[in-house]
Amino acid sequence: MLKDITLGQFFPGDSIVHKLDPRMKIILMMIYVAAVFFADTWLTFSLLIICTLALIIVSKLSVGTILKGMKPIVFIAAFTAVINIFWSTGETPLVSFWGITIYPEGLRMAVFTIIRIVSLVTGTSVLLTYTTSPMALTDGIERLFSPLKKIHVPVHEFAMMMTIALRFIPTLVEETEKITNAQKARGADFESGNLLARAKAMIPVLIPLFVSAFRRADELAVAMECRLYHGGEGRTRMKVLKLSVSDIVFLIISIAFFALMVVL
Amino acid sequence: MKVVPRSERHGHNIVAKLELENVSYVYGAGTPFCITALKDINISFGENKITGIIGHTGSGKSTLTQLFNGLIKPETGVVRLDGMDIWEDPKAISKIRHRIGLVFQYPEYQLFEETVEKDIAFGPVNMKKTPEQVKLLVEQAADFTGIPKSMLCMSPFELSGGQKRRVAIAGVIAMDPDILVLDEPAAGLDPGGREEILGRIKAYRDKKNKTVILISHSMEDMAKYAEELVVMKNGTVIMHDTVAEVFKRTDLIEETGLSVPRITKLMKRLKKDGYPVSDSVYTVEAAYNEIMNVLNKQ
Repeated sequence: MLKDITLGQFFPGDSIVHKLDPRMKIILMMIYVAAVFFADTWLTFSLLIICTLALIIVSKLSVGTILKGMKPIVFIAAFTAVINIFWSTGETPLVSFWGITIYPEGLRMAVFTIIRIVSLVTGTSVLLTYTTSPMALTDGIERLFSPLKKIHVPVHEFAMMMTIALRFIPTLVEETEKITNAQKARGADFESGNLLARAKAMIPVLIPLFVSAFRRADELAVAMECRLYHGGEGRTRMKVLKLSVSDIVFLIISIAFFALMVVL
Repeated sequence: MKVVPRSERHGHNIVAKLELENVSYVYGAGTPFCITALKDINISFGENKITGIIGHTGSGKSTLTQLFNGLIKPETGVVRLDGMDIWEDPKAISKIRHRIGLVFQYPEYQLFEETVEKDIAFGPVNMKKTPEQVKLLVEQAADFTGIPKSMLCMSPFELSGGQKRRVAIAGVIAMDPDILVLDEPAAGLDPGGREEILGRIKAYRDKKNKTVILISHSMEDMAKYAEELVVMKNGTVIMHDTVAEVFKRTDLIEETGLSVPRITKLMKRLKKDGYPVSDSVYTVEAAYNEIMNVLNKQ
């Protein structure tokens, strides 16, 4: 069901990771992603795993949550791993059957790829989406990219669009379910028939959904104008972002981690 | 208070039109977020009756309506239609949905077709009726809900809120279900619109002898249109009786966070102040007669 999507979902909490400055979290995430791609030996990969695990522990998220978030990437990880097993070549073959030869290098690459993909998704989710509220996230993005305003990039507008889009995802999911049920009650059949028939069966859901999305957008625009919203210029904030000691500590740790990854 | 099905209470041995036995429902079963929406529900709905379901927000009314036509499956217990378990053959559940018409809250948001006529025809077409049958069913449904012929070829998106609501209800009536379930059919309408919709639903029942189940927050509407009332609280049925009997129990109704109709409150107050009026009055007409009686005697 649509409700089961946890990728990109925020879990409120009060861990150190939750309290980090969103701007800092975005920077940390960039360092982390770069580090993931520098990992290329058993040593660096072990270091990466340890670091990711430490991050999960510090964030106080439940293991179930993390595992549930991994579900959508199982297929991609498995698929790339299999490709790596069969397509990598080395010097001494491990096994060979039906004209297919598997080299130890292939197996090694497969394991590395799985670790890379899993830690990439898990690490960035824990750092950003799971522990940062969408509002804080867009706030952080806006502040981080605000220098771009000098070259007339509408940073505030982009951030506002993101905030609104994120805000309405659950609303639209709920709405979709409601309309689907209403059409089922009128005898609509979404489960049988070929691909074309099923696509056609979605029309009675999609049209009301679009109509209501436009209606909501309209109402929201009016409500914002009523409260004198006129873009980002001169707008003050309720929560002013401030770097704390733990932000600096995290930054130092991650730079050290990155340096180790590059050197090793 | 123990709830006894009406059929048993009166010693009749008739099969109820729609019956729920020990039905429970849990949202998100098996996850840490599970919420028990319904606990051990036993109710039976008599044929040709208008039964109202009242209860505070979150008391499980809407969940109950989705159990009636198999949109959700009960965790435990049985839902019976004419004495048959609706989940006996899960593949045939769509047939059950044809027989129990469910009108959701704010049904106007489900309209999607190019014309009103096509939208009303969506249900009957899904039921694989012949074009002649569909035409007849659409005409009848439009007639019951007071949709003029000239409106049939208009787009549903250019109608007013009240008109849209009627088109959506017509879309369910057009399936000619045995039981019509309506979740807050008059919510958000002006008083005139409320009267019109509810009056038409009652007229439909009178003419076609259908069983109607009505959910509403308005005690005045319930007093006027329902014959029996089911009172729900925290996912359980705490009372099921005739409207008069239910409204006698002001204490119980107020305990569930609801109130008796305002006119009943007025009559209770008059009685308390020493006027010789009956306080088991719940419509304005009956109250008028009571008061006039007292005045004439003086």
